[in-house]
Amino acid sequence: MSKEFTLFSLALRNLRRKPLRTGILIIAIGLFVSSLVFALSFVRRVDASIKLTSDRLGADILIVPSGARGAAEDVLLESRTKSFYMDKGLVERVKKVEGVDAVTYQTYLITMAGLCCDVPETVVVAFNQDTDFVIKPWLIKKLGRKLQRGEAIVGNESAFNISVGLVDVDSVLFGTVFKMVGVLDKTGTGLDTALFIDEGNIDDIIRKGRSGIKPGQISVMFAKVKRGYDPYRIAGEIENSIIEVDTIARKDIGKNLVSALRDINQIFALTVGLASVLAAFLVWAIFSAIANERAREVGIMRAIGAKEAHVARLFIFEVVLVGAAGSILGIALGTALSLVLAKSFTILKSVSSDLGLTERAMVALAGFVIGTGICLVGALSPLQRIKRMEPLAAIKGE
Amino acid sequence: MPQVLLEKVTKQYVIGDAVVTAVDAVSLEVNKGEFVSIIGHSGSGKTTLLSLIGGIVKPTSGRILFEDTDVYTLDSNALAAYRCERVGFMFQFASLLPMLTAKENLLLPGLFTAKENSSAKDRDMKASELLNMVGLGDRIDAYPSQLSGGQQRRVAIARAFMNDPAIILADEPTGDLDEVTEAEMIRFFKQMNHERGTTFIMVTHNTELAAEAGRRMSMSSGQLKSLQQG
Repeated sequence: MSKEFTLFSLALRNLRRKPLRTGILIIAIGLFVSSLVFALSFVRRVDASIKLTSDRLGADILIVPSGARGAAEDVLLESRTKSFYMDKGLVERVKKVEGVDAVTYQTYLITMAGLCCDVPETVVVAFNQDTDFVIKPWLIKKLGRKLQRGEAIVGNESAFNISVGLVDVDSVLFGTVFKMVGVLDKTGTGLDTALFIDEGNIDDIIRKGRSGIKPGQISVMFAKVKRGYDPYRIAGEIENSIIEVDTIARKDIGKNLVSALRDINQIFALTVGLASVLAAFLVWAIFSAIANERAREVGIMRAIGAKEAHVARLFIFEVVLVGAAGSILGIALGTALSLVLAKSFTILKSVSSDLGLTERAMVALAGFVIGTGICLVGALSPLQRIKRMEPLAAIKGE
Repeated sequence: MPQVLLEKVTKQYVIGDAVVTAVDAVSLEVNKGEFVSIIGHSGSGKTTLLSLIGGIVKPTSGRILFEDTDVYTLDSNALAAYRCERVGFMFQFASLLPMLTAKENLLLPGLFTAKENSSAKDRDMKASELLNMVGLGDRIDAYPSQLSGGQQRRVAIARAFMNDPAIILADEPTGDLDEVTEAEMIRFFKQMNHERGTTFIMVTHNTELAAEAGRRMSMSSGQLKSLQQG
């Protein structure tokens, strides 16, 4: 007995009749889906990074020196090495603003390999362990105790980037020897590339004179607001009452980055939109040609009993097979591109969060559905035409 | 009650500005189990007449009844079921699907029928048996391109019997066959006609072949006439 003979196997057989044409169609759909998957991965990665950072910082408001909003986001979202300072005395003034529940602060110091330090350029974050609520959860999870003077703990990606056995070895930071006591788990924020030390070390660092920091300077404050208070209103009140600072409410973190990305997103949307129209047009053109060249065969099938639904199902199987094959190819290509080209895109290189498996699966699913959907849309008109042809007219090619 | 009843059936085609009448007010009664031949020249309307009875082209006017059902009042699905389960059509031209083997071409109508009493295995065996009956038992896995014109014709003949039709509409069924094979096919038709009671309406321009039928008719300029027997 021969292999089971079904409409599906007939559709497969039809596609194999013109392997070059089928291949070209699959590649075209694949290219469209790959551009879609790449664009979606890019956008989702930036979005995920911003959301993760704002969630994980654990603060309702960021307070930075006046004019340093962009620089702070660069550090927190994009792991860039930037320093900006304000007076530590401002902490007390922020605490006094009504509705502010808790305030902590960090000081960012930039290492310069060979000049002050024996690690590559990175941000060293000095933080107050008594008031901190940003680093502490990760620190407790990893170390189970406070950092001591002369101790540092390494951000997850920093350990990877430096790629030396930092743990339990001594490194010189700003002329002071620090013992690296561990590596933090990945936080998904820009701080993953930083080194962390207790604020108490700053006096020693200043004394050595190997950093640009002056006594009583901090870089950023993180504030929590009391329950029932609106973070936006409190942020506004802080800015109004303390002219030396700017604020960023939690939901606005990454606004500058999103704004900078708007043009890129528009280019992506335009490219993907044009590619989808092109793909649909190509499918329409090829399936119109297929409908014309198979009109006689369809006429014969109708004459020996095929219903309109059988003809439709046969064509839909072919379209879905092409769409599915093209989409799978495009998903693989687009994912590979997003991983490989991530290293070429400055914005992606510096955005700290990568897409998780679920996110990637969602992007792949979207690519599959849209890729296959575009095929179905493109094939709709030729399909309608051929399934409604009168059998004898189809046989005669009228 | 006749199995097939045509009441003043007319089929006209519009070609450019001209209206061509292919079948002109034809009335016909065919009883179950009859073997009718229709003889006529090219362009006399024979193929159109068979297509009208077979449910593959709508008449311009008149009624075609099959077992008391007006064929063209059926909806699209019921009409397709009629073509699939009640009619076996043998086309004048090569009608095999090129990407299917001989046996798969026979199995094709089975994809369109809702008959529940035949399994895939039964249908497979039946296809092999029919191909054996038309002398192609050793070519069941050959593609149409690997068969001669005559062999392709025989596969198409076998396919017409796959769904046990009540009526066979044969349009120049032996056109590509040599004399010996033609005679074999006619014997096969008669066997099916006698043993299974299958009705045959056969269109041909071959007078000797037409003489094999129980009732002979002729068609000219779209009009049908009975011919005297003998």
